[in-house]
Amino acid sequence: MKNLYIFIAVLFIPWSFSLAKYDEFEDGDDIMEYDDNDFAEFEDVNEDTVTESPQRIITTEDDEEEATVELEGQDENQEDFDDADTQEGDTESEPYDDEEFEGYEEKPDASHSKNKDPITIVNVPAHLQNSWESYYMEILMVTGLLAYIMNYIIGKNKNNRLAHAWFNTHRELLESNFALVGDDGTNKEATSTGKLNQENEHIYNLWCSGRVCCEGMLIQLKFLKRQDLLNVLARMMRPASDQVQIKVTMNDEDMDTYVFAVGTRKALVRLQKEMQDLSEFCSDKPKSGAKYGLPDSLAILSEMGEVTEGMMDAKMIHFLTHYADKIDSVQFSDQFSGPKLMQEEGQLTKLPETKKTLLFTFNVPGSGNTSPKDMESLLPLMSMVIYSIDKAKKFRLNREGKQKADKNRARVEENFLKLTHVQRQEAAQSRREEKKRAEKERIMNEEDPEKQRRLEEAALRREQKKLEKKQMKMKQIKVKAM
Amino acid sequence: VPPDGAPFSPARYKPPATETNPALEDPTPDYMNLLGMVFSMCGLMLKLKWCAWIAVYCSFISFANSRSSEDTKQMMSSFMLSISAVVMSYLQNPQPMSPPW
Repeated sequence: MKNLYIFIAVLFIPWSFSLAKYDEFEDGDDIMEYDDNDFAEFEDVNEDTVTESPQRIITTEDDEEEATVELEGQDENQEDFDDADTQEGDTESEPYDDEEFEGYEEKPDASHSKNKDPITIVNVPAHLQNSWESYYMEILMVTGLLAYIMNYIIGKNKNNRLAHAWFNTHRELLESNFALVGDDGTNKEATSTGKLNQENEHIYNLWCSGRVCCEGMLIQLKFLKRQDLLNVLARMMRPASDQVQIKVTMNDEDMDTYVFAVGTRKALVRLQKEMQDLSEFCSDKPKSGAKYGLPDSLAILSEMGEVTEGMMDAKMIHFLTHYADKIDSVQFSDQFSGPKLMQEEGQLTKLPETKKTLLFTFNVPGSGNTSPKDMESLLPLMSMVIYSIDKAKKFRLNREGKQKADKNRARVEENFLKLTHVQRQEAAQSRREEKKRAEKERIMNEEDPEKQRRLEEAALRREQKKLEKKQMKMKQIKVKAM
Repeated sequence: VPPDGAPFSPARYKPPATETNPALEDPTPDYMNLLGMVFSMCGLMLKLKWCAWIAVYCSFISFANSRSSEDTKQMMSSFMLSISAVVMSYLQNPQPMSPPW
């Protein structure tokens, strides 16, 4: 029984909804009728239909009172219309008769409406227009993407061709000087791969090793980012050139202690700010190399004059003058540790590791618009590199120079220690405190008899330490006083 | 000139120190990746078509500038996210994009 009641109740609900709808229908009867009649009108193109519509328009636009009056008229009309064709309501719609005979339903509407209220003809929304033209922004975007992809492929291929052209030109010279040409670090045995390592779409590496004096030579071909369209556009504003960077790591015994750099003034100023060793050891501004016959474009940064004298021999000067346009910077340093590390003062507790290095940066001619043939012009520069390696091995400072160099290095180290003294003290202090805390914790965790024993031991130890320290201090003071 | 006969092992290739700090060298791919993801989220949430398109561009730029040691998964995920942002914007609102002028 219960189920039956529920079922009936459930049935009630939709029925009541339908009733309500019917009520609505009745309330909006006139409007519904109006709509029905409109559609009905359009189906049979009739004078009557045309006459009916103006009436509808009047009713909608006039006041409500008028509308209600008209409604009754409408009802009559509807009945008449349903029965047969009649000429009813013509008296009211007579003024519009002339326009009605066009046969188009819209025209009378439009003409009538012009007199009453302007109807704004809304544009069909663009996405319903079914024309590609409206999507022009999207087409632009896709074209841009396609252009980017095209540029990526073209740029990548160009960089690839340049790299291989460089390698083919230099391969012979490298293979005659180095036992190992090309290594990517993955093979177990040290065998020449004879290939460049591609790090990026614009950076290629080559590692050469197996020569006397030097530990190894890393050549980085740093091309322009031809594969990135943004970069290409930026380069149109600001021309730049491809660079070849050669870093020779020397064995410790094969190079004396000095810091020396030569290159374009702009490059040297930048390096002096950026590089740790140049900023610490070469405090003077870059000097002109005119004294040695170098062109004005080149300048020299040196730790001491003796180094410059030693380095600037005839052959080096020849190299530098002839290829001055391709040289960006040349740096010989026994304290090379790379660019200055931007660290907070608190973190710097140890001097960065240094390595004896010769660093060469060359600009590829063409300033961006290079062709593979330009790579041949870099071959003499590689000879210069080889020559420099041998020279660095041969060049030794005399006693005076060595003393100066050692003094410089000691000075730099001392400065560094002073700077970090406070930090190191703090670090030591914190370590001591940690130890104490750990001990205390251990003591706390133990049971009573154990605890007592440990307490005693700890206390004893501490006392002993303090005594020792005091004794040491006293001794030091005594020695100093003496 | 390599010595004759004397056994000697050439030093192996060590990746340059810059690889330990790739962000120092050139942060472009990382920035572009992040930017792409931010724009695609904007495009998805706020239903802005131009955001989604910029996200696609950012992901392309990030890919072009990326290092070979970098994860392709990261690239692909950012790319997919931007494409999905574009597609979703158009599914929700098929109207063409209106220029700002």
